[in-house]
Amino acid sequence: MKNHHILRILSALFIIAAVALPRLAADDSEDIKALRTQVDSLEQQIRVIERKQELKDEDAAAAAKAAPKVSFTDSGFVFASADGANSLHLGSLVQFDSREFFNDGGGVANNSFFLRRARIILDGKLDKIYSFQFVPEFGNGSGGTATAVAILDANLTIAPTQAVQFKFGKFKTPIGLEELQADPSTFFVERSLVNNLEPNRDLGAQVGGSINNGVLSYSAGLFNGIPDNLTSSGNSDFDNEKDVDARVFSQPFVNDKDSSLQGLGFGLAGGLGREKTHSAVTSGYKTAGQQTFFSYNAAVYADGDVWRLSPQAYYYVGPFGVLAEYVVSTINVRPSGPSTTLAKTELQNKAWAVTAGYVLTGEDATYTGVTPAQPFNWANGTWGAWQVVARYEDLKIDPKAFQGPAATQLASPATNAKEASAWGVGVNWYLTKAVRISQDFFDTRFTKAGTTAPTTQILRQNEKALTTRVQIAF
Amino acid sequence: MKLRTTFFAALALAAGLAASAKTIELLNVSYDPTRELYQDYNAAFAKYWKDRTGDDVVIKQSHGGSGKQARSVIDGLKADVVTLALAADIDALHDHGNLLSADWQTKFPEHSTPYTSTIVLLVRKGNPKGIKDWDDLVKPGISIVVPNPKTSGGARWAYLAAWGYAQKKYGSEDKAREFISALYKNVPVLDSGARGSTTTFVERGIGDVLISWENEAFLALKEFGSDKFEIVVPSVSILAEPPVAVVDKVVKKKGTAEVAKAYLDYLYSDEGQEIAARNFYRPRNQQVAAKYAGVFPKIELFTIDEVFGGWTKAQATHFADGGVFDQIYSQ
Repeated sequence: MKNHHILRILSALFIIAAVALPRLAADDSEDIKALRTQVDSLEQQIRVIERKQELKDEDAAAAAKAAPKVSFTDSGFVFASADGANSLHLGSLVQFDSREFFNDGGGVANNSFFLRRARIILDGKLDKIYSFQFVPEFGNGSGGTATAVAILDANLTIAPTQAVQFKFGKFKTPIGLEELQADPSTFFVERSLVNNLEPNRDLGAQVGGSINNGVLSYSAGLFNGIPDNLTSSGNSDFDNEKDVDARVFSQPFVNDKDSSLQGLGFGLAGGLGREKTHSAVTSGYKTAGQQTFFSYNAAVYADGDVWRLSPQAYYYVGPFGVLAEYVVSTINVRPSGPSTTLAKTELQNKAWAVTAGYVLTGEDATYTGVTPAQPFNWANGTWGAWQVVARYEDLKIDPKAFQGPAATQLASPATNAKEASAWGVGVNWYLTKAVRISQDFFDTRFTKAGTTAPTTQILRQNEKALTTRVQIAF
Repeated sequence: MKLRTTFFAALALAAGLAASAKTIELLNVSYDPTRELYQDYNAAFAKYWKDRTGDDVVIKQSHGGSGKQARSVIDGLKADVVTLALAADIDALHDHGNLLSADWQTKFPEHSTPYTSTIVLLVRKGNPKGIKDWDDLVKPGISIVVPNPKTSGGARWAYLAAWGYAQKKYGSEDKAREFISALYKNVPVLDSGARGSTTTFVERGIGDVLISWENEAFLALKEFGSDKFEIVVPSVSILAEPPVAVVDKVVKKKGTAEVAKAYLDYLYSDEGQEIAARNFYRPRNQQVAAKYAGVFPKIELFTIDEVFGGWTKAQATHFADGGVFDQIYSQ
């Protein structure tokens, strides 16, 4: 009886459930549909928001890409178009020197502060293949004086390919390896005695290029022609003759990153021309202290062929670098000119130098300088890069320059040395890539040209010169 | 003197040697959806040119919304040729910068349009929202994907196709304007170009319908599968005529006039027309068109001249700053 009662209750419950549940299920399915629609709508809204943000980011990236780039770093001010085809670089080089002479017999040259170089450097590129350079010099080191400004470089390059580039204007002639090195990047504050026998900047036209990333580089140019150790100061040739200067240089392992010889480079440079002017004779050869130890007599006149030949090489590996050059410079001169019956003499002056440096802080030494891994920062305890350098050099004057009676001598043995040789040591502190402090000491020994003591005071003792330089270059 | 003469002769020889080692480079600035077309076409043209002249030609491509691309060329992008979505964008190269002559459209056949296209509707498979024609796009709850007519040529064709339909059906410009307003109220996001809109619809899964270039719709089916999307052919649409032109000022400076003209001429060749058809552009060549007749649906098409009086008028009325689109979209 009791079970029957429970069964009747259960049956009633089942009947009630059987009727009510489908109705409940139908209401849920409508809700679920509505919910699903709402979820779909919300999902679409989220996707739209995400897509709008994506498009906004694309537009911002495109705008950034198209915008001209302006930067100021230790490489200078650079203004460049978005595609890099056009750019303008504004930089500067300032070298403030202190030069002291020791044991110079009471002051051959004044110990002095001076502005060795003070330049504004303007260069740029147009349409990727046209580049220009304009560098006025305000310091007194390369022709500029306190009251006059010299145009050091003014040239245009058209480079349809890396392998063929045409350069026109005023620029460094392709002869000296150390001469071609940028002024802020040399091992020592002054270039070696070799530099005395090489032309500096001249007016001309040149074709050159680099093949396979520098495995082979070449330059060949036609120039007005300038004497040893001089930069063209006028805007025309001083005679009707021209010089051809050319250079080939190879870095055979430059593309082999694993080779210990990757930093090896060697080459040969030379020049050939004719001169027929007094102005083609050098104004003098200088020591590391920039004192003149040799110059021709005032009336000497260049008349004939001039040629130079310079084998050269460098090797950089890790913190170590060495650079070596030899040059022979030949000139045909008369004791006076142009009208004269005095005989012409061919003189061959020769020089060589070996320079080496080692970066104590481990950064790489390169032909283009040293970049400190960590710039000098007192607060952080970082000290930039330190480099020690050493050089030995020699320059010999052709003995024929001093021969004969005084009336026909080309240079006076009483006032000139026939040879200068020097050793030098130095230290370079690279505070940043742009700022460098250097101190060099050179001891230069002179071999007198005459049999008696020279009358020029500089030649009476070795020149012991200490040069300190503070430099900013960017 | 002899030394100087010899030196400059040597310089000239070096320059000549540098110049003779030539590979000609062209830049084709095109509108957004033509990437696949010109990928195929450029390979074919390079082979043709090499066989004909022995020279190598490398064609670089730039793609984007047609209006944006025209702007880029005016602003200095060195295009040898432009293959844009509509004549008004190429007219702008003459009007702003004098980059080509005013009669540029006479330089190639068919007023410089080697192929045509039209505007269709791409919907999700099964057409869940039941879209059959333009009228369905203005219903509440429909989400439309279409690019921005200020930057995209395809978007301008789409706008004009919808306007032309509405004007024909509802009989007045005012009604057409109401129709267009309602349509753009259903547009949640405006891409700058046709390819961007395809990405929005197909890859980001936004919207119920994409108003699209016909070729772009076919490409979407080909790439993403006809099991995911289907094309709805509207009752009427516009005959879209994307033109091509040589940018005279650029080719004169670069010395590429001959190859640039040949590049566009070859679009009209049998091979050029075949490549266009294979990439779902309606070829001008009647034989090729007959061969591909089964690919392209039959649609009643009106021209921009018939309904709007030409591109110059349509551009000025609808798409210039302050024009009808700006007025509609700012509301």
